[in-house]
Amino acid sequence: MNPVTVEHSLLGTNCLDLARALAVRIAIVSLAFGCPEAAHAEISPQQLQLFESKVRPLLIDRCYECHGTKQQSGGLRLDSRAGWKKGGDSGPALIPGRPEQSRLIEAVRGRHPAGATSSKVTLSEREIEILAEWVRMGAPDPRDDVAPTGIQAQSPIDRKKHWAFEPVARPEPPRVRDSSWPLGSIDRFLLSKLEANQLPPAPDTDPCTWLRRVTLDLTGLPPTPEEVTAFVGDNSPKAQERVVDRLLASVAFGERWARHWLDLVGYADQLGTVNDVPAPHAWRYRDYVIRAFNSDKPFDQFIREQVAGDLLPASSVEMQQDAIIATGFLLLGEIHIVTADKLQLRADIVDHQIQKVGTAFLGLTLGCVRCHDHKFDPVLLRDYYGMAGIFASSESSYVTERGVWSSIRTSELPEPLWQRTEREEALRQHASKRVNAQNERTKWTNQLAEVNGKLTNVVSSTEPGKALATKDGGETELKAKKAELEKKLSTLEATLWHLDYIEPKATVAYSVRDVDQPADGRITIRGNVHAPGETVPRGFIRVLSPAPWPEIPSGTSGRSQLADWLVRTDNPLPARVTVNRIWEKLFGEGLVRTVDYFGTRGERPSHPDLLDWLATEFVQNGWSQKRLIREIVLSRAYRMSSKHHPEAATRDPDNRLLWRMNRRRLDAESLRDTLLSVSGALQSNPGGPALALQYVENVGGLNPKDVNPVSFRLNKYHEWQHHYRTIYLPVVRSAAQPGPAELRNLFDFPPPTEMAGQRSSTSVATQALFLMNSEFIKSHAQRLSEWVLNQPLQDDRSRLELLYLRALNRPVTDAELEIARKFLDIDTNDDKQRGSWTAFCHALLSSNEFLFRL
Amino acid sequence: MNSQRTTANSNPFSRRHFLQTTACGFGSVALNALLAEQASARSNPLVPHRSHFPAKAKRVIFLFMAGGPSQHDLFDYKPRLKLEEGKKPNIPHAGREVTVGLENSMSLGPIASFAPRGQSGMVMSDLLPQLATVADDICLVRSLSADNRSHDQATLQLHTGAFLSLRPSMGAWVSYGLGTENQNLPSFITINAPTDVRNHGSAFLPAIHQGTRLNAKPSGPKDLPIQHLRDLASPESEQRRRLDLLQTMNRELLQRIGGDTQMEGVIESFELAFRMQAETPKLVDLSHESQATLNLYGVGKEPTDKNARACLLARRFAEAGVRFIQVTMDGWDHHGNIRDGLPKMCAQTDQPSVALLQDLKQRGLLDDTLLVWSGEFGRTPWSQDLSGTQPLEKHGREHQPESFCAWMAGAGVRPGLTFGTTDDYGFRVVENRVHLHDFHATLLHLLGFDHEKLTYRHGGRDHRLTDVFGDVVTGVLS
Repeated sequence: MNPVTVEHSLLGTNCLDLARALAVRIAIVSLAFGCPEAAHAEISPQQLQLFESKVRPLLIDRCYECHGTKQQSGGLRLDSRAGWKKGGDSGPALIPGRPEQSRLIEAVRGRHPAGATSSKVTLSEREIEILAEWVRMGAPDPRDDVAPTGIQAQSPIDRKKHWAFEPVARPEPPRVRDSSWPLGSIDRFLLSKLEANQLPPAPDTDPCTWLRRVTLDLTGLPPTPEEVTAFVGDNSPKAQERVVDRLLASVAFGERWARHWLDLVGYADQLGTVNDVPAPHAWRYRDYVIRAFNSDKPFDQFIREQVAGDLLPASSVEMQQDAIIATGFLLLGEIHIVTADKLQLRADIVDHQIQKVGTAFLGLTLGCVRCHDHKFDPVLLRDYYGMAGIFASSESSYVTERGVWSSIRTSELPEPLWQRTEREEALRQHASKRVNAQNERTKWTNQLAEVNGKLTNVVSSTEPGKALATKDGGETELKAKKAELEKKLSTLEATLWHLDYIEPKATVAYSVRDVDQPADGRITIRGNVHAPGETVPRGFIRVLSPAPWPEIPSGTSGRSQLADWLVRTDNPLPARVTVNRIWEKLFGEGLVRTVDYFGTRGERPSHPDLLDWLATEFVQNGWSQKRLIREIVLSRAYRMSSKHHPEAATRDPDNRLLWRMNRRRLDAESLRDTLLSVSGALQSNPGGPALALQYVENVGGLNPKDVNPVSFRLNKYHEWQHHYRTIYLPVVRSAAQPGPAELRNLFDFPPPTEMAGQRSSTSVATQALFLMNSEFIKSHAQRLSEWVLNQPLQDDRSRLELLYLRALNRPVTDAELEIARKFLDIDTNDDKQRGSWTAFCHALLSSNEFLFRL
Repeated sequence: MNSQRTTANSNPFSRRHFLQTTACGFGSVALNALLAEQASARSNPLVPHRSHFPAKAKRVIFLFMAGGPSQHDLFDYKPRLKLEEGKKPNIPHAGREVTVGLENSMSLGPIASFAPRGQSGMVMSDLLPQLATVADDICLVRSLSADNRSHDQATLQLHTGAFLSLRPSMGAWVSYGLGTENQNLPSFITINAPTDVRNHGSAFLPAIHQGTRLNAKPSGPKDLPIQHLRDLASPESEQRRRLDLLQTMNRELLQRIGGDTQMEGVIESFELAFRMQAETPKLVDLSHESQATLNLYGVGKEPTDKNARACLLARRFAEAGVRFIQVTMDGWDHHGNIRDGLPKMCAQTDQPSVALLQDLKQRGLLDDTLLVWSGEFGRTPWSQDLSGTQPLEKHGREHQPESFCAWMAGAGVRPGLTFGTTDDYGFRVVENRVHLHDFHATLLHLLGFDHEKLTYRHGGRDHRLTDVFGDVVTGVLS
C-alpha cells in the first residue's frame, strides 16, 4: 500500500467545514438576483480552483456585506462579475491583469484611489495578495448568474446512466453446468460467475463450523455444547432449517442486528458531543430497534416510522409509542447543542438529518450538497434545500435556560394503563422520599439557626480571647457544629436536586414534531446560514424521481411525503442498499463493497443480477429481513468452507467471486458477548435505561444556576451491567467507552460520530495487550476454568473435550489433547494445576480460532 | 470504509513460513529486533516511508496547552487595553462571539509587564521567564486563527483540521505518511492525553496509526503507563509459557485452514505487544537520567513534576524513534480570576517546556525535531465574569479563536522571528494570518510533504489533513 497517492482534486473535496468556517465570521445578511450576463470567456480549471477556494470565500466573507444586495456602498457590487465590471460611482472596480491600476486593490490596501474611498474592512496582507493575484490572472470569474444559489444555479441533472439509479430489474437465475451444487437461486447466480471464470466453489464446511458461523452471524453469540451435539447428531435434511428458524426466533437475533442499525444512526446515550450531557431516554430508541428486528417489522415501515412516525396512524397505544420513539433516528446522532448562533445550530441539525437519510436509506453522501451541486453524483443544491425545508419545518431542538445550550426535543408518550399505573406508583414512592428529604432539611435548617443564634450570643458576650462555655460547649464546638450542619445541608441540597432530576415524570422519548408554520427553506450560499439565497420549494431528489413526487399539503412539514417517497417502488436505492448491507453482514463483504455509498464514485456490484434479484425478493416478500436472511444463510454458498486455495487466491485474491467464505474477526460486541457466554457470565436482559442516573455519583451539574447542563460521569454501574450483552451498555460520544464496555475502545467499535454501515477490522498491539493482560480477559478465563474443573467428570480428557466444545464449538483433536496435556501436566501441585487450567483457558480465549468466525 | 483495504497477500504463506522457519518460541522471536524488522518490512504499514521531498523535520513533539492560554498576558502586547482598562470594550465584533458572563465585561489590560527578549527583541511577558531566555531559539506566531469558540470543537480542529466530522488526527497522518523508526513502539504517542479520544484517533486511516495514550505519572504500581501494558498477576515466565501455547494454537490453525492476512496480522500484533511490554518500562523509567537533567526539567519538584516527567519522556521517545509525540498540559481555561490562575499555570509549564527545548538542542535532536507549543485558541481582550458580581481584579477572559499565539522551534523553523500582527486590541489578525489549516500545511511541509498530495481515499473521495484549504506559511521557514 502506497500511503502517498498523487491523485487528488482540490475541487473534488469540498466540504462541510467550509460552511462553518465562513459562517462564524462576519454576518452577511442577504443576497438576491443580479443581472445575468453572457457566458464568460473560458476559465481554466486552475483559475476556477483559485476562485472557488480562495477568492469567492474572501469576497463573501469580507466584501458582500457592503457591496452586495443589501448595501451598494459607493454604488459598487462585488457579488457578480457584472458588478465589478460596471463598477461603482468612480468607474470599474478593477482592470483584469492590472492589479496596480485597479481601484479595488488600491482601496483594500488602504489607499484612496481616484474618486473612491478606502475600504472599511481591514484585509490581511495575504487576503490582499489573493485578490491581487486574481486580478493579475485576469480576474477569472464564473459568476454568470448572481450568487443566489451558490456555485451553480441550474446545472442540468446529469442523466448519464449510473447503475444504482436505474430501476431494479428482476433477472432470472442463470443456468449452470453443475446443477448438483446450487440449493437455490442465490447459488445459481454465484456459481454461473464462478464457472465462467473456471473457479470451483469451495467444498462445504464441516457441520460444527457452519453452526458456529450461523449462530454468531445471526445472534452474535456462539452455540452451546448442547446445540452443537444436537446439530451434529441431526441427520435430517431439515437440520439446517431448524437451526436457522430457532436462531431467527430468538431474542438474541434482534440484539445482534439492531446494533448494525445503530452503527448507521451514530447512536449514543449522550446528547451533543461535549460536556457529557446525558441522553436519559435514548435507550427507548435502542429498544425500539431491537423490537423492530425481532418482530420482523417490514423494512419499509421501519423507514417510514423513523422519518415520520409521529405523523403516521397507529392502531394501538404501543404502536403509537413505537412510532414516536422511532423518530429518535433523526435526533440521536452527532448533533451539536452548544452553539451560541442558533440559526447555525438549527442548520447543522438539518444537515445532519439529511446526511443520515442519505447514508442510511439511499447510500448517498448528501452532505456535500449543502454548499454546491454534488461533484460526482447528479444531486443538486436544489434537491438538498428541498429536503432541508422539510427538516427545517420539523422541530428538533429547543433553547435551554442554561448558558448558550440547546437541547434535543422530547415528546410525551401515550401510556397504556399498566404503564401509567406503574409510573404513578413510582411517583408516589418518589414523592415520599422527597418529603423525607425536605423534612430533614427543615430540621437541620432549624438546628443551624439555633447554633447560629448561640454563636452570636457567645461571641457578643465574650471578651475577645475569652471563651464562654455554654451547655453546648464553647465557641469552637459551636463552630464545628455549624460547619457540620452546613455540610449536611449542602449535601442534602444536592440530593434534592438529584431527586427532582430523576423524578419519574411523564414517559418521554426523543422525537421530532412539525413546527406550527411549516414553510419552504432558502438556499444558503456556500452553506453560510447568514447568507440566504433563493427560496426552494420542499421536495426530494430529482434523479431518483422518475414520476412526480407526492405533493406536500400546506400546514405539514412534508416528512410524511418524504417517507412515502423513500420507499416508493420507483426509488431503486433503499432496497438495493439494504439487501447489500445484509449480505455484507453474512458474507463479510457487500456485493457492492462501498456499502454506504452507491454513487458514481462507489464500487460497482460484483454480481449486479444477484443484487437486483435479492432486492426484488426483498420487496416482494413485504420487506421482510428475516426471510431474506433465512434465504441467504440456507444457501450452498453460505455453507462453503473458508479454507484457503492457492490457485483461486492467485486468480481472485479479493474473493470477489466468492469462491470461498470470507473469514472475519468477531466485532467488539460479539467478542465480549461470546466471552461472557463461554465463561458463563452472560445473563439475559429486558433492556431499559443504560446510564444508571439514579446513582447520585453519576450525575453532575445539578445546580439549576449552572451555565452548563446536567452531566453524567458513570462512576458506578449496576452490578448486572457486567453480565449484560454489550448493546445494553452506555455509549458515549466524546470520551473512551466506559466501564464494562471498555472492550469497544479497542476492537473497532465505530465512534458514534460516524454513520458506518461497515466496520473496519484491524489488528493492532493495543488489542493484543488487552487480550494478554487485561483483568477482563483474565477474569473470564478464570471463570471458564472453574466451570470446567467443577464438572462431574473423571479425567482431563473429558474436561478438554467439553472445554473445546464450549469455547470453540467443536471436538478437540488428538494433537490438541497432546499439546494440552503437556501444558497442564507441568506440575502436579493442585493449586498450580488450577493456575495452568486458567492459563490454558486464557490462551484458548485469545486464540485466532476463538477471535475469528471461520 | 476505505478503498485501500488490505487485500489478500500474493504470497499468503509468507508469514506462516517466517514463523516456522525461525523455529523459535514466541519470546525469542519477540526480542529479536532484527527479525522484527524483517517481519515488518513485509506487512507492516509502520515501516519507514519516504516523504515527497527531503524533509527538515523527522519527528514532531507537540506541546498542547489545553484550555486556551491568554495571549494578551503572555505574547501579544497591546498597550491600548491598558489605557481602556475598566471601560466597556469598544471592540468591533460581529455580536455572535458574545456568549455568557459578559454583562459585566470590561477591557482588561495585560496582567504582567512585557519586555523585549534576547538578540531578536521578541516581546514576551514576565510570566514565562524561562521561555524569555530562549527567545532567540523560537519562532513566535501571533496570528493563528481558528473557527470555533467551544473547547472540544476547537481542540478537534487543532488536532484533526475538522470539527463537524470525524477526521484523523495530525499525528495519525504523520504516522501514515512516514511510518516510524522504532518497530517496538507505537508511531504516535500522546502523553497525558485529553479525554476526547477523537483527538488522537485515526478515523478512517488504519487503526495502527492512532495515538497510544501514555500516562506520565502513574499513581502506583497498578497504574500502568500504557493501558494493559503488563500482566500484573502472573510472573513473566508464566506469561511467556501461555503465549507460546497461544502461538502454537495459532500456527496449528493456519496450517489447517491456510494462510490469512488478517490472522497473520493478529499473530504479529501479539509480537509487537510483547516487544512493547518489554521496551516501554525501560523507556518510562527515569531513574537513569542524571540529576542535572531531572533538575533541568523540574522532575520531583512542585509545581513542575507532572509536566516535567511528560516533557522528559517526550525527549526519550523522540530519541527512541517515535514519530509523533504529544504532551498535553491542561489548565489554561481562565474564565475567572486570571490574575491568580495564569501565573500558576505558567509556573507549572514554563520550565518543563523550555527544558525540553534545551535538552533537545544540547543532544543535537532539535535539528531534526519540530517542537510546537499551542493552545486550541486564545482569550479575549475583554474580561469575563461568570458570577456577574466580581470586581475587575477577579475577572478572567473568554475564549477567542479569531487570533491567538503559538511558538515553534527546531527543524526548518526560523528562530528569533515574531510572525503576524493583530489589531490594536489583539482581536483580529491584520497581517500574516495563519489559519489552523495553514499551520497543518506547514507542519506537513516541514516533514517533507505536499499537504495537497498526502491523501487517503475514503467514502468515494480523497481526504487530506487540510481538506480543501491550507497554505504553507513560508514566512516562518528558515
